[in-house]
Amino acid sequence: MSYSDKVIDHYNNPRNVGSMDKKDTDVGTGLVGAPECGDVMKLQIKVNPQTNIIEDAKFKTFGCGSAIASSSLATEWVKGKTIDEALEIKNTEIVKELALPPVKIHCSVLAEDAIRAAIGDWKKKQEAVKPQAVQAAQ
Amino acid sequence: MRAVHFCGSCGKVQPPVPVDYFTFFGFPRKLNLDTAALEKEFYALSRRLHPDVFVQANSEERAWSLEQSSMLNDAYRTLKDPVKRSEYLLRIEGVELEEQSKQATDKARATGELKKQVVPPDLLEEVFELNMHLEELRVQKKIGEDDPALLEEIGKAKLSLEEKYDALLNELKTQWHEWDKSVDGRTEYGTEEDRRKILGRMLDVLNRRNYVRNLVRDVNEALEN
Repeated sequence: MSYSDKVIDHYNNPRNVGSMDKKDTDVGTGLVGAPECGDVMKLQIKVNPQTNIIEDAKFKTFGCGSAIASSSLATEWVKGKTIDEALEIKNTEIVKELALPPVKIHCSVLAEDAIRAAIGDWKKKQEAVKPQAVQAAQ
Repeated sequence: MRAVHFCGSCGKVQPPVPVDYFTFFGFPRKLNLDTAALEKEFYALSRRLHPDVFVQANSEERAWSLEQSSMLNDAYRTLKDPVKRSEYLLRIEGVELEEQSKQATDKARATGELKKQVVPPDLLEEVFELNMHLEELRVQKKIGEDDPALLEEIGKAKLSLEEKYDALLNELKTQWHEWDKSVDGRTEYGTEEDRRKILGRMLDVLNRRNYVRNLVRDVNEALEN
């Protein structure tokens, strides 16, 4: 099996590698793993609470080339999108973009899971801070 | 029920029938398996089915004995091993790991609910941390440096993973009892939905176990290289 040019490009020049402060209430962290291969993927988003737009995204993935490329692409795609738009991203689109073979589809599933987990984490944090904001307004 | 390996009236070897390995030996589809009985059956059958016994037989019988013997070996190797036996049961019960994960993602997308990850969050944290350490270790080895504190940290993590690995086998065995009860047709485990739930939990344990196993392998590789 050989990797597609796009996978190799993301693997050699991964976009947005890094991490953010996971305690920051504007940051959502998704940490997911694939038992099939032992991959672990962390994807973080920084969301503007006024606009719900994802202003920055970072990732760190330990795994095969396809897993790294899938998460690298995922950070590229979520940047500039609103939370709701980012939730529309489907793993099949990642498969198409990176020309992943069937045995690597789980890497794209993992990337979608990571996006959802990060958004879920951000939403949970927002709900936790919201009551105070409402109280302060009253 | 047991698959028929020999003709009931003339005693001649029969062509292999496409049955599951439990039926091949005449065992119920249960996971608490009497391995001593399995071994006895295996040796008894392999003596009777062995191709050497059929050197003088016609070509059809020779071919059948060969096919039967090879199925016997596969069946024995699979059922003897507790993990392989469990994985095999899941397969013949139609539980597919990757398919299930994909379906869960599809469901999460459709409903907006969060997908429950197979690997629990605390284990993921541990794994991520460990991978960071391993990456550091590889870099250090490349530049020829040595950090005893890092090695100690990795050693501790490895130990913790090995403990988890053993604990997961016990967890798997707990599910065996649940499954076997459902096979016995006890009413409180009777419904198909309950059976699926037990299989799902078993898959869960096996997934986590594989995950931990791969990690221990990665750690060993990093330490050796």
